[in-house]
Amino acid sequence: MIPAEQTERGPGSFRQTMDLLYTWTGRHIRARYEQSLLGWFWAVAQPAAQVAIFTIIFTRVIPIDTGHIPYVLFSYVAIAPWTFLAAALTDMTSSITDNMTLVSKIHFRREVLPVSAMFARLIDFAVATAVIVVLLAVYRFPVDPGRLLLLPVVLLIQISLVAGIGMACAAANTFLRDVRPLLVLVLQIWFYASPILYPVTQVPQSVRGLYALNPVAGVIEGYRAVWLSADVPFHYIWSAAIVACVCLVGGWLAFRRAEALFADVI
Amino acid sequence: MSNLAARFEDVSKRYRLGLSRESLPTLVSRQLRRVFAPGSRRGNPQQTLWALKNVSFDLERGQCLALIGSNGAGKTTILKLLARITRPTSGSIHVKGRLAALIELGAGFHPDLTGRENIYLNGTILGLSREYVRRHFDEIVAFSELEPFIDTPIKRYSSGMAVRLGFSVAASIEPDILLVDEVLAVGDASFREKCLKRIQALLKRGTSIVFVSHNLYMVQAICRQAIYVEKGQVKHAGDTLSVIDRYEQVLHAARTEKLAKGDAGTNGGGIPADITNVRVEGGSSAASGVLDSQEPAEIRIQYAAYATLPPVNVAVFIIRSDGVTCAMMRSKLDRFSVELDRGCGEIVLSLDRLQLATGTYFAEVELTNETDSMVLKPAPARSAWFTVKGRGRSYDDRSGVFEPAGRWAQAGLPEAAGRLANI
Repeated sequence: MIPAEQTERGPGSFRQTMDLLYTWTGRHIRARYEQSLLGWFWAVAQPAAQVAIFTIIFTRVIPIDTGHIPYVLFSYVAIAPWTFLAAALTDMTSSITDNMTLVSKIHFRREVLPVSAMFARLIDFAVATAVIVVLLAVYRFPVDPGRLLLLPVVLLIQISLVAGIGMACAAANTFLRDVRPLLVLVLQIWFYASPILYPVTQVPQSVRGLYALNPVAGVIEGYRAVWLSADVPFHYIWSAAIVACVCLVGGWLAFRRAEALFADVI
Repeated sequence: MSNLAARFEDVSKRYRLGLSRESLPTLVSRQLRRVFAPGSRRGNPQQTLWALKNVSFDLERGQCLALIGSNGAGKTTILKLLARITRPTSGSIHVKGRLAALIELGAGFHPDLTGRENIYLNGTILGLSREYVRRHFDEIVAFSELEPFIDTPIKRYSSGMAVRLGFSVAASIEPDILLVDEVLAVGDASFREKCLKRIQALLKRGTSIVFVSHNLYMVQAICRQAIYVEKGQVKHAGDTLSVIDRYEQVLHAARTEKLAKGDAGTNGGGIPADITNVRVEGGSSAASGVLDSQEPAEIRIQYAAYATLPPVNVAVFIIRSDGVTCAMMRSKLDRFSVELDRGCGEIVLSLDRLQLATGTYFAEVELTNETDSMVLKPAPARSAWFTVKGRGRSYDDRSGVFEPAGRWAQAGLPEAAGRLANI
């Protein structure tokens, strides 16, 4: 009576979860741009505006030494991934609470909600990355093709980091709504504690050890190594990879433990 | 276990009340109080509610089981536990096979997206693969009768259209176990008819169904077995008619008790009198719910009057399952005066013979004032469905509704025989 292929594809099966993830990611993206005239432009506009402001401030008002790299490139390469991280974490944190009716009425893998919110922002990041390529061409900045091999590594570290922290925040936010405003605050501080507007070399030697614990430092320096042929900061990348792994495993475990209670506390 | 679709074993579910809504100041003050005034009971956070307590039942394959009970009795909690949306505090639940829950129609719909996109959204969240939705897409759209609007954002749909789309997706699922909550209460009569047909088709395929509804007529139409849940416990389980009977007895008793306490007058919602129960009973075979067409029958109408009223007119209609009104009896036409004094009572309408054709019917009772100019109770009260066994084998288009017992006779006509020869 039941088509054979249906029996193995019940809710929660791998295939069904992947399908749901795909559909749900599409939902986020389409819904965001459905009734908007400029659509994808907005994915680039925010980091572009920030870069414009920072470039004026940090080249004219308080000059920052970025060596031979134009400040626009220097900051944009960092702000694009940062925008992805910040936007994804914000969206993920409220992903469970925004879908209360679903969570309290239907059984499906709850991870789909935060993870699809992240993937939707990842698409924006891809668009922003395309702009990096355009900027590099405009500034006639040569890219070392060998360095591109590093790109998937850095991206993987960043995604693991965002996924882990995001899932933990999403779970925590269902119990306490204070998590979201707290996250906004933390992101603000984190932005300045990461080498986005300034190079790591400007960080005082005495706090470098502590600074390396910030996984975003490794991620951003990694992207600079890829696009701007900066020195590959191996110890930063290693430290970021370890922190990201811990975040991913810890965040996911926390999410799984909390998941059983979502429908009851929401 | 081989013929079981699901089993509930001694399941309990406890909800903590108020824990998640605590703000920091109350949390802190409670902790302080606990330290400094351990005896104080105020603001105790351990307020808990047992939504279910030691509930056990089996759902057999191909069985349709109804859960009935008042609001907050625990019916939805049972569905949520079966659907694994929430987990039991104690006890165990076994579910065999693919389960789908129709607890909410159109789950995951996004208003800005088109009907087409929302079919995929809703389908995947209900546990279907994209491929499955793609293969059944035309079928789903045809079922919803929304072909012209399928590429329109659903925010432009009427609420009825959105519900139809949601149900069409849900109807394409072919699960082993289907959970149906109050969802069918929405929508118009033809929509409900469609839902019922779909559910019956699934039952024929061997799907087990757990059905929650306040609509006892629908429950009777679909389910053979029922469980009556009250305050998180199973009060009665068995065949649907007996369970509903028990449930209605309890409801009636509760109303009578309220009335005795004197607070029902305010609960009447401005209605001066209420019909609390309507039962149609036959002579010998009353218990089985099947009445014999040629035996006497009684229609018993229990009422609660919130005030002493001027004489009223009682109308009883007998309506067949397809909506045809087969008979109407009015106390006024029979020159019977009904006078309601404050309190409860019973009006009995006795029929010498029921004389209805084989089929399923219910009785509807209406109260009007003496001149028939005003309906005293806005919604007519209905009896449970009853089945009549007439002398005809089954009901079809030509069996009629009325089965009067006639006397037949035959005689020869010799004077006409001459004419026969001329032909």
